[in-house]
Amino acid sequence: MFKSIDPRSPTPLYAQIADRIRVAVASGELSVGEGLPSVRALASQLRVNPATIVQAYRDLERDKIVEMRQGSGTFVAALGADARARERASAAGRFVRQMLTQAARQGLSPADLRSALDRELPESK
Amino acid sequence: MTDVIRIRDLAWRAGREFAIRELAMTVPTGAIYGFLGPNGSGKTTTIRLMLGMLPAEDGTIEVLGHSVPRYAHRALERIGYVPERLHLYQGLTVDESIRFHRAFYKDFDDAEAERLRKRFALREDQLVQRLSKGEAGKLMMLLALSQRAELLVLDEPTDGLDPVIRREVLGALVEYVDSRKATVFISSHLVHEQERICDWVGVMDGGRLIAELPMQEFRSGIKRLRVSQAPPVGDATPFALLSRESLNAQHEEWVVRGWQPEMREWFQRAGADVREIQDLDLEESFVELLRGARTPSTTEIR
Repeated sequence: MFKSIDPRSPTPLYAQIADRIRVAVASGELSVGEGLPSVRALASQLRVNPATIVQAYRDLERDKIVEMRQGSGTFVAALGADARARERASAAGRFVRQMLTQAARQGLSPADLRSALDRELPESK
Repeated sequence: MTDVIRIRDLAWRAGREFAIRELAMTVPTGAIYGFLGPNGSGKTTTIRLMLGMLPAEDGTIEVLGHSVPRYAHRALERIGYVPERLHLYQGLTVDESIRFHRAFYKDFDDAEAERLRKRFALREDQLVQRLSKGEAGKLMMLLALSQRAELLVLDEPTDGLDPVIRREVLGALVEYVDSRKATVFISSHLVHEQERICDWVGVMDGGRLIAELPMQEFRSGIKRLRVSQAPPVGDATPFALLSRESLNAQHEEWVVRGWQPEMREWFQRAGADVREIQDLDLEESFVELLRGARTPSTTEIR
């Protein structure tokens, strides 16, 4: 699930980890009440500073995506359908912004991107 | 005590060629401090001075509240040290090495040593001289982590190890830091590894510490700018200019340190415009910082 963590990206690691979990919760990949790995286990798996994981979990708790229960761990919170939709929309927004930055760097225009999207996306109806 | 290591005005000289000069360093308690610098910049010498293994010519060193070298022995009891050249007795087995080492440390944790030995897949009766480089590296790490040290000083701990072993070693290190709230001082030129783990960065070059700051600031403060109609630089730049290169008649590329979004206005007032702001990763920042430090015409850093 965290294969895509990239320390070289300008997005801080804690934000990348939190974003990945947000998407997993919004898409149902992680279900309500499911436990997240402990700070120590996830820090060790990703070889990042434990404080980075704590910060990611705190961000998610602030946004009511997870609940941190003293002594027993971090769990996926119940998320209403509209909150779920909001998370998906904002994840998609982040993704598109990244794409736009990269495209601009390579000199691609919005029109280039739009026609490429039309070609690549499967027919919607 | 809020700082585990405090060094001020440190000086040391070896012949005419190499010197540590005016070195000041502060490692806060609980930090994972990445000590970066090119080969020959003085990282290992600084570590040896810090641990009382070399006498300084001038300056003060305090480690875990003890003045070094006078009370280095008191600090060393609480430090796990993995030197650049692994120090193991070739004629001992893995088990004998562990028992030898534990005799020097009163808090040595036998259960932890055994757990790590299994985790690192080291055989008890294996002779040290038969260990591969990676296995020897794991054994040194096992010894340092089993001491229940408050401070780990690791000099290139993963240099020359294969990626699988590097992961095992770093994973064990991260778990240790989380369970014991230890401070780690880790010297390495493997910048990408530091980028994941460290929350503080110190950069050495030519025997001087040219930068010391939290990782987040280091990463977010150094930017590459594309500037059109670039102004001449007086003394009054709000940032430190590390380098500038002209791309064509209108555009220049600047690398700056201490960048804040409001600084765009400084360019506008000078009749220039910032066309693009690029983030640099740690490796690029590191390279640019060294380049800046070596060019006398640019602003002094720190």
